[in-house]
Amino acid sequence: MSLISSISRPGPSTSLSRLLKPQFSLESRRYAAGEAGPVGKAGYLQKLGSAQKSKMRKKLPMYKALPASQLDRPILVSNKPQFDPPVFTPAAIKAATAVGQPFVINPKDNDPMKCFGIPRKLWLEFKLLSRPYTVVREVTKDIIQLLEDAKQSSSANTRVVFTGRPGCGKSFLLLQAVESCAQQNWVVIYIPRAVDLVNSTTSYAYDIRTQTYLQPWYSFQTIQRMLTVNKEAFTKIKLVEDLVLEKSVLAKGTTLDQVIEAALAERGVSVAQAPVYLEAVMKALEAQTQYPVILAIDDMQTLYGKTAYRDPHFQAIHSYHLSLPRMLMEFASGKRSFQKGAVLGAISASQTTHPIPLELRDALDLHNENYRIASPYEKRDKVLVEYAKGLKNMAVPEKLTLAEAIGVFEIWKEQQVFGREKFFYDEAFMGKYTESGGNARDFVWKGLLATLDT
Amino acid sequence: MNSLIQNALRTPPRGAYACARSLTTTARQQAEYVNPRLSGQSNPEGRIERPKPIPTSPNFYTTRALFYDQLTQLERAVGRSEAFLRHHHLLPLPDFARASLPPLQPVWKDPLEMSNEFKTKLSTPRYRKVVKILNQLNDFQRIAKTGGCPQLEDRLRAILSMYESSKKEALLSRGKRKPVVLDEYGRSYTLGKRKTSSARVWMIPVQQPDASQSETPEALLLGTEKQNLPVTTTTILVNNMPLNQFFPLPADRERITRPLKVAGALGKYNVFALVRGGGTTGQSGALLQGIAKGIVAHDPALETMFRRVKLTRRDPRMVERKKTGLAKARKRYSWVKR
Repeated sequence: MSLISSISRPGPSTSLSRLLKPQFSLESRRYAAGEAGPVGKAGYLQKLGSAQKSKMRKKLPMYKALPASQLDRPILVSNKPQFDPPVFTPAAIKAATAVGQPFVINPKDNDPMKCFGIPRKLWLEFKLLSRPYTVVREVTKDIIQLLEDAKQSSSANTRVVFTGRPGCGKSFLLLQAVESCAQQNWVVIYIPRAVDLVNSTTSYAYDIRTQTYLQPWYSFQTIQRMLTVNKEAFTKIKLVEDLVLEKSVLAKGTTLDQVIEAALAERGVSVAQAPVYLEAVMKALEAQTQYPVILAIDDMQTLYGKTAYRDPHFQAIHSYHLSLPRMLMEFASGKRSFQKGAVLGAISASQTTHPIPLELRDALDLHNENYRIASPYEKRDKVLVEYAKGLKNMAVPEKLTLAEAIGVFEIWKEQQVFGREKFFYDEAFMGKYTESGGNARDFVWKGLLATLDT
Repeated sequence: MNSLIQNALRTPPRGAYACARSLTTTARQQAEYVNPRLSGQSNPEGRIERPKPIPTSPNFYTTRALFYDQLTQLERAVGRSEAFLRHHHLLPLPDFARASLPPLQPVWKDPLEMSNEFKTKLSTPRYRKVVKILNQLNDFQRIAKTGGCPQLEDRLRAILSMYESSKKEALLSRGKRKPVVLDEYGRSYTLGKRKTSSARVWMIPVQQPDASQSETPEALLLGTEKQNLPVTTTTILVNNMPLNQFFPLPADRERITRPLKVAGALGKYNVFALVRGGGTTGQSGALLQGIAKGIVAHDPALETMFRRVKLTRRDPRMVERKKTGLAKARKRYSWVKR
């Protein structure tokens, strides 16, 4: 049914079973089996136990559409009219009439959206929509133009962070930028959920040589996904220095796809060495000039905040002592840079567990009425201040313009999620636009999808 | 029977004091009284008494001369106007005619004001006495007005206006709704309330971008060019925050925009509101009423419709009080055997 059912895996080591609570499937049986109970009356007692457990469960399971094969009941068969907006391509966006027009993203097999995943809120939205639709805004055009200009210069010159109130469209904008770059043969590195790098969900190990904590599994997954997405480019980009591994050496000049495939071939051994592979790949990308590189990081503020990782003495580990956040911050701060390319980031303002740290707020000059008043005498981490230096703030407009809102409305209207025959669509649109104050997320989630006057 | 009671009330109290008093008076009456002033003789100390001035008013020795003078005048006015009306066959009036007289709502000065006027403290019976006469005069004025006696009417009005309260307008308009007045910029200012919340709402029509300039008159006449009307949007700021930030619940937001939807005025006005007190439901309800009143102020034709759908109505429901013996308003304590 859904074209993006395969997109659901956002980052390394995050399988669906971790994200989603077990539903009516084999998994729930597996969970239930773990509980103790007399063997004879297992069925009855297990039922009781599982009921208790479900009471304790706080979160609702995430919405998952049934597969199309199971939707054979007549009541579930929809006679939806086909909604075929134009395909999202860089050329189509540039048209004068593109603003406010809905587009559909047609992901290829090696699309960054499919391989790296997408932020959770977008994932859910696309699930409901059944296809990834998106609307081009004025700011999309600005970003496309910015990337066009960045193509020829160092990534140190283009380090932009999207900011704005929750739900104003920062993550969508980042996804649009990534998509357009992927279609223009850029090398794409997309981190859709940077929070997974710091919330202690992936394995880590101390490395004496670099004196940092390596994240081998995430690094391994990253290089694997980078290869899938940028296969064509990686056949042409070569290592700039010898890659010295534990038992072998990959000579300078080996192409990146060979390097990563070598790592994939000996998965058992190479996972532990994945950070070394990743480092070598990144160095090669830094040195090359054939392809522009885009490094896009969503939830960027989590990298600059506190991590949930602990050392053996239960002291908190700083994010700059973790290999992957450190590498990303080095690119973001311009300490390292691609010869051609850009670093884009988006903060996620609705992440209450990871508020925007003061160091990042200072760098982006986020001191307005939307934020807590910060004293100049408040303590700042000097290292993080260095890592946040030079980031440019790009404020995403708080409000959708009327044309953009019409585009969004059209997508959901065509999905028939609300309305009926002789429905006052004009009034519904104006009402929801007024109620949401033009905020994109509120317009959809608390307006079109939450309304009772359908 | 009644007259008997009255007589009984009028008889002076008899007691020891009364007897003593009667005794003293009888003792004085025995000596012959000579007025020293009239006789021109000096008193035994040799001091010549000056003659006292004659009081200006016959009511001088009542100690409330001014009051009784006025009262006499009013009574005289009553007598005269009654005689006048009787002479013109306007009195006595049959009941149906009296009932059909146009109302003339008087508001008399209150006791305190009248006390200042009369320079004496007015007790309730005295005040009532004045008011009774004034009401009678007011009735005569009504009759004179309807009966076509302008001279009498003018005179009565001149007399009665002296006793009218200075706060007459304010008192008469009490309890009546004040009409909303748009200010110089076309803003309305209305108040809405619900539960313990109140909302002050300012509304201004959205400025329409001029559409007529872009269209040529020929096209308009022929109707060939499809008229592309500019669409305006409504912005609602609550306590200087956008609506979606102030009210996270969709139900609250929909409640606020309801009057705009009912009036078909989405995109017609911009709204600024200050809300105080209560919770989200109360505040959104207060905003609903404030906005509804504002729309009616801008578009009076909608008044009846808004009243019928009860948008402009102050919802009178409040928290039900807690009762003794109950845990809350209705909740009972659980029953325990012992």
